[in-house]
Amino acid sequence: MTPLAPHRARALGGRVLRQLRADPRFVAVSLIIPLVITFLLKMFFDAIDIPMFDQTRFAVPGAAFIVHFVTYILTALVLVRERVGGTMERMFINGYRQLEIIGGYLAAYTVLATWQSLLILTWVAFLFDLGYSIGSYVQIYLVIWLLAVLSMALGILVSNFARTEGQVIPFIPLIIVPSVFLSGMIVAVEDLPTWAQVLARFTPLFYANEVLQGVISGGTVLDTLGPFVALPLLTAGVLVLASRTLREGS
Amino acid sequence: MAASLAISVSSVSKSFGAVKALTDMDLEVADGQIFGLVGPNGAGKTTLIRALAGALQPDEGEIAVLGLDPRRDRYEIRARLGYMPQEPALYEDLSAFANVRFFAAAHTRDDAAGKARAALEFIELADRADDPVYTLSGGMKQRVSLACALAHEPDLLFLDEPTAGIDPKLREVFWTGFHRLAASGATMIVSTHQMSEALECDRVAIMRAGRVLVAEEPRTLLGQGRATIRLWQQDHVEEMVVNDYSVDLPRLLAARDRVDRVEIDRETLEDIVLRMIDDDAARSA
Repeated sequence: MTPLAPHRARALGGRVLRQLRADPRFVAVSLIIPLVITFLLKMFFDAIDIPMFDQTRFAVPGAAFIVHFVTYILTALVLVRERVGGTMERMFINGYRQLEIIGGYLAAYTVLATWQSLLILTWVAFLFDLGYSIGSYVQIYLVIWLLAVLSMALGILVSNFARTEGQVIPFIPLIIVPSVFLSGMIVAVEDLPTWAQVLARFTPLFYANEVLQGVISGGTVLDTLGPFVALPLLTAGVLVLASRTLREGS
Repeated sequence: MAASLAISVSSVSKSFGAVKALTDMDLEVADGQIFGLVGPNGAGKTTLIRALAGALQPDEGEIAVLGLDPRRDRYEIRARLGYMPQEPALYEDLSAFANVRFFAAAHTRDDAAGKARAALEFIELADRADDPVYTLSGGMKQRVSLACALAHEPDLLFLDEPTAGIDPKLREVFWTGFHRLAASGATMIVSTHQMSEALECDRVAIMRAGRVLVAEEPRTLLGQGRATIRLWQQDHVEEMVVNDYSVDLPRLLAARDRVDRVEIDRETLEDIVLRMIDDDAARSA
């Protein structure tokens, strides 16, 4: 058995990046749509003007949610496209291995997620006039970035259960609905029934929101070390699952 | 003589739901041969190739490729294997060169670019190497796909309808190339619809409904061709079908007083194969 080869993961990452470069429309859409959505949210909040409602508390977790969602769906779709087009099988028969494929994809899409996180955080800071300290911004950025990587891992996992691009669609609410209602963004998790509190632990945004709320209240990620560490741990767990389920053929 | 066999398939079956793709199939391919898989759509050619490549697990039976198990030893086999799927399976938004280099890079740490260039020369597409695949014609994509399969100079090539959608002149170029690869020791499994291509193979298996009807040298198959003989005696024509006209014709002539004209229509390889397939279909119906 030949060992895992980093040069194959590198070749794969390079190929995915070249594809991104060859498809500026895809890159533009994945970068700009989150900005448009946050802008609409801001207009919505301004219009309804609820008393005692501090919209800045929603700005950063909202941005995190959008990055989470967009990254998850795009990763799943791109991988399903490989499967449908036959290139997934061809990669395997050429000798690419599960972990090399996942590693290469992760590395390439991390580049995209890095820019996406940076762009949306800058945009939200400007739009909502947040005025946090530089240290807070760096920590927020780190959390959103970790969440983006976790979202990619989830996208890779989910792509294994879809045979056509259309079959990805049912997986969209699977992430959105629990994220919105259980993560603590809208309703505090302590106020949820016990079963929902348990379920909340399975949504990545729950952990991200815990850490982000601490940081925007002036704390640091160290105050919520558990949820903060949970993000990379979950990523690792999801990646192990993804590599176990990444099928060669149909 | 297990050592000289590149491939051995024994009693292999594979179903997809209710559809039986391979039924109790047996097949042996010697080292260094160009082995043709000939048969109509649904004969099981692609399923067989994918099973040989380890892309799917047969329900029953044994397969050995280069003496190894295609599933258990797949990494070992794949290092020596080139595979061209029926659909081009390329990254349309990347250049031909980037595609070939990517698949070659699975096998070589250092010289993927050099090997990719050489493969593009081989398929005579070096001048379009930097164009995105979506700008190429169907035949050109097929050629790029072939380049992806052979860039790493494999010992064993599985080509699933490599010449589909390619014009006759280029098909000739392909086959010259295949013979060159075979001469250098590579074993090739080539599936095809084109009977003329069967003649290019060292051996062919005629397949129908997931089974091998016959596996022979094309010359031997041609020998099984029937002939229609027409004997003219003045205005009277006598027509008969014989199995071996070289033996039957002298006998027929000797039995007649006078024959003014003889016409012989021999079956082509295509006729023979189609007859075998039709006969088999009629038997199983």
